[in-house]
Amino acid sequence: MDDMGERVLREIEEAKTLAGLDQLRLKYLGKKGEITALLKTVGSLPKEERPGFGAKVNALREVIETRLREKTASLEREALEEKVRQEVVDVTLPGNLPQVGSLHPLTKALREIVGIFYGMGFTVYESREAETDEMNFVKLNLEPGHPARDAQDTLYLTDTTLLRTHTSPGQIRGMLEMQGRLPVRFIVPGRVYRRDPMDASHSPVFHQVEGLVIDRHITFEHLKGCFLEFARGFFGPDTEIRLRPSYFPFTEPSAEIDVSCTICRGKGCQVCGRTGWLELSGAGMAHPRVIRNGGYDPDEVTGFAFGFGLDRAAMLKWGIDDLRVLFENDLRFLTQFEGL
Amino acid sequence: MKVPWKWLNEYVDLDWTVEETCERLTLLGVKVENLTLEKLDLSGVVSALVEDVSPHPSRPHLKVGTLNTGSRRYTVVSGAPGLVEGNIVLLAAPSSRIPGGTTIETRTFAGVESQGMVVCANEILAGEEPRSGEDIIILPPGTPLGLSAQDILDLDDWVMELDLTVNYSHCLSIMGVAIEASALSGKPLKLPDVFRKWDWAGPLGSRRPPDDPDEAGEWKVELPDPDLCPRYVGKVVRGVRPGYAPVEVERRLMLAGMRPISAIVDVTNYVMLETGQPLHAFDLDKLEGKVISARRARRGEVIETLDGEERQLEEGMLVIADALGPVAVAGVMGGARTEVSMETKNILLESAFFAPIPTRKTYRKLRLRTEASARFEKTVDPTAQPVAIERAAELIARYTGGIPEVGRTDANVMEPVRKSISFSTRVVRRTLGAPISAGKCREIFEDLHFAPGPVRKEGDFETMEVTVPPRRVDIEEEIDLCEEIARFYGYHRFEPKPLTPATPGGPPNKEYVWFDRMKDFLVAMGGREVVTTSLLAPDDLLAMGWDASDTRSTGVPLMDPLSSSESILRTSLLPGLLKVVSRNQSVRMPGGFFWETGRVFFPSTEELPLEALQLGLVMYGALKEGSWVEGESEATFFRLKGVTETLLRLMGCDASFLPGASMPFHPGISARVVAGHSTVGELGELHPLVKKNLNLTGKCALAWFSVEAILAMAREKRFSPISKFMPVERDIAVVVQAGVPAGAVVKIVKETARDLHSVTVFDVYDKPPIPEGKKSIALRLTYSPTDRTLTEEDLSLDRERIVKALRDGVGGEIRL
Ligand SMILES: [Zn+2]
Repeated sequence: MDDMGERVLREIEEAKTLAGLDQLRLKYLGKKGEITALLKTVGSLPKEERPGFGAKVNALREVIETRLREKTASLEREALEEKVRQEVVDVTLPGNLPQVGSLHPLTKALREIVGIFYGMGFTVYESREAETDEMNFVKLNLEPGHPARDAQDTLYLTDTTLLRTHTSPGQIRGMLEMQGRLPVRFIVPGRVYRRDPMDASHSPVFHQVEGLVIDRHITFEHLKGCFLEFARGFFGPDTEIRLRPSYFPFTEPSAEIDVSCTICRGKGCQVCGRTGWLELSGAGMAHPRVIRNGGYDPDEVTGFAFGFGLDRAAMLKWGIDDLRVLFENDLRFLTQFEGL
Repeated sequence: MKVPWKWLNEYVDLDWTVEETCERLTLLGVKVENLTLEKLDLSGVVSALVEDVSPHPSRPHLKVGTLNTGSRRYTVVSGAPGLVEGNIVLLAAPSSRIPGGTTIETRTFAGVESQGMVVCANEILAGEEPRSGEDIIILPPGTPLGLSAQDILDLDDWVMELDLTVNYSHCLSIMGVAIEASALSGKPLKLPDVFRKWDWAGPLGSRRPPDDPDEAGEWKVELPDPDLCPRYVGKVVRGVRPGYAPVEVERRLMLAGMRPISAIVDVTNYVMLETGQPLHAFDLDKLEGKVISARRARRGEVIETLDGEERQLEEGMLVIADALGPVAVAGVMGGARTEVSMETKNILLESAFFAPIPTRKTYRKLRLRTEASARFEKTVDPTAQPVAIERAAELIARYTGGIPEVGRTDANVMEPVRKSISFSTRVVRRTLGAPISAGKCREIFEDLHFAPGPVRKEGDFETMEVTVPPRRVDIEEEIDLCEEIARFYGYHRFEPKPLTPATPGGPPNKEYVWFDRMKDFLVAMGGREVVTTSLLAPDDLLAMGWDASDTRSTGVPLMDPLSSSESILRTSLLPGLLKVVSRNQSVRMPGGFFWETGRVFFPSTEELPLEALQLGLVMYGALKEGSWVEGESEATFFRLKGVTETLLRLMGCDASFLPGASMPFHPGISARVVAGHSTVGELGELHPLVKKNLNLTGKCALAWFSVEAILAMAREKRFSPISKFMPVERDIAVVVQAGVPAGAVVKIVKETARDLHSVTVFDVYDKPPIPEGKKSIALRLTYSPTDRTLTEEDLSLDRERIVKALRDGVGGEIRL
């Protein structure tokens, strides 16, 4: 029996496959296995020999079982290791890419702008695109025949209605909705229209962001402070602004706001015409008549307004040099704004 | 407006450099858009004395002169009358240069060699041949010889090109800009005598000096239309000699962007540039009668203008007329009949005030914008007409030897205005913030030649009456004066001040938040946002296949569109989105998924068209570009439906899909999205006919939604507790008639099953062994009881209920 034990253990040791091990298990421990058969002979032995023999066979059986288990585990590990050795991918092949969408840069720019103004207590007010002449011009101090009307080549729908030439009528509509409550702080983003043929810097359809603040004790200094905060938030913390006197019938004093060139950082380059400054926004103190047209008393409150081109802001921010690409929607353009 | 630097400095001695001046003027609101150095290439052209003149041996109209430059003698052949012994002239010796890139060479005139040429103004200013009757330039006696023309004539200059806003009409003149520069720099204004005498810059405007001979001219002026022309000043100058203005005057006009014509015309332009008051000169002897009338044109009247064009006048346009009819389109251009020529002996000068808006209307109708009309349309100084005419007469006398009549005809029905505005430092504190003192304000007003009255204390503030000169037509009220203070105080000096924190101060706009979320969901699902124009062609709508009863078929037309392709407002985002597909197919992009949000417009019975905010989606072609792992996936109905279903779910919207949408959808592969009882959107594959019309290829699915409807349904999420019991899945397959919608089957299951969490369709099959005309729909039911573990008995009972309900409801037979 000792011989047999040695033989069995050797055979287990020499087994190369899991199938071989299974055969050995069957051969020795199966119903008709040799060890099983040995156990069956216990009954035929003299009574006094039975316990000793039985214990021996059982011990052998346990040893074999243990060895089989160990060997199985070891062969399994080897098999797994071998399998892992076989499994190699070409990691330079492209991954299975999930489809990523994208926001249009105009939306992206507007979100940043809205975020900055939210921080300063502004809300977003969306006004109409088709407007009355009254709202687009007259209420903003642009009486019929006013030369500044000509500067905005207007697309009329009828003699009295038009496509808004600026987001400024939103000032009046927004104020009227506020019904005299203070403070008034909102921005009006939206689409505007001009009678300009499409070229690299003009489009009959473009976008503006208007801002209006009306409250007690609002001064020109707040206009400067508010716009500076916006400009730094949008173009970067080292951005400077410069205000120059200008003219808008609905503000007085009026200003043109330049921001330090986003390309050369104020040193002067092609984009800024070597001045270091980029024209961005028209602004000014809300004209008393406009304040009155919005249902507020210009003797009690003052305010400021500004408006700038969203398209231009986005173009400056991302170095887009042709307005037309914003409206062409070529995939080769759109895909560049993934992840923004 | 172009401002030559030396001309400006004639009226104010600036000690800033020209660049510095540009910077300061720009920061003052007088924006200098361009600064250019205008140089004439005159190298080698020098002063020379005509020592000797003899006739040309064979050509009687030519002379042969000996010219001495001080260092050398030259023989020059010329026919110029000015080639006279003793004159100092300009010699362009061989190898010298004149503008136009011409290098002078030795030339032979009928056997006599000319070593260079003596030059006239046209040659050195424009590089062109002498004009008719033009003589060579004769320099003042005593001019040193051999000096370069550049040094003698001093013709090179910087030109500042101003980009003025419409309210800066007071800067449409060199003297006007000089006042701004003088006020800013503190340097005194130095005006020619006549302007000082008339107090041109003063707070009351130009006024007749006490010693002015108040004699009316012989010409009568009638003003039958004072609303168009309330003031017309005329003055006669007799005995003018035809000719050209001095070279430096011509040069100045050229630098300012005008073309020299003749001494008389040049003077009218020169004075216009100097003062901002346009002037005109008529040939007196060509005028009929003795009355000038500034009247409305009559029906059928025609005028040939100075540019040689025959122009049909409209009733209502203002004309200047003599006994025969119109001689000028008032404020726009003179007529050819009375044009000043080289034969003119006597002239009538015109200096008038023409009303801005009618002038603009007239030049627009005639498409004839001139320097004069550009000034009249922005309102000229209503007091400057006489002084401008005096200045012109003075210069014409100087350059042509003419004799101005004494006094002038001044027809004036204009209300004299004394603009006096009450000004308080309160407006400065309230509007500007910075504590600018009353004294400083007063100083600024004085520098601008306004007349501030004494300062009175009024509570915390100080007030004064400020008289504003009439040339400042832009200043009407206190706030305008406040702007002047801000400008001259300096915009750069105001401290930026942050807004104090405040509760958000605008009309509430909760929807905007959901609107933004909706965009995020679309990006997360792979959609690319696009921005397309709202202006379409009628054909774009026609291509969608909407019939005439469809409100989307017409659109809101523009009154005067740029082109027919941009002549109506869009009624749908779909035409624009299909153009995006077309564009990307044309640049060979294999597929894409685009979306846009934007306004669409419908005609309305109200004054303004109806505006609605829509979401449009379109996908075409292969949506996964040749992934080696998964291959391509196509832009099918179900692909897009999946996106819209998910979008609606994420937005918390409850909507159902009913078969069949309108054009431009495929009638069988499209659905209406219905919430409550209204259609909130449509989706489907593009109708093949539309696809063909638009030259699109491959699969294309599209959808539109009312953003307003989606936002109105949008709900915030609420947490529902997670069941402690394991969910159980059971599959069921039912065979129904092919026409039974899966939605009906799902609906029955949902209504019948108990403890059901969800049910999804995972297969639809209609091949054998499924009988012809039937289909099998396989469903996966997920049970998620909240109070117990489901037993096999529970599940089989539920199955029995479902089987019965399906049989009763849709005649379904269970396969599995
Ligand atoms: Zn730059």
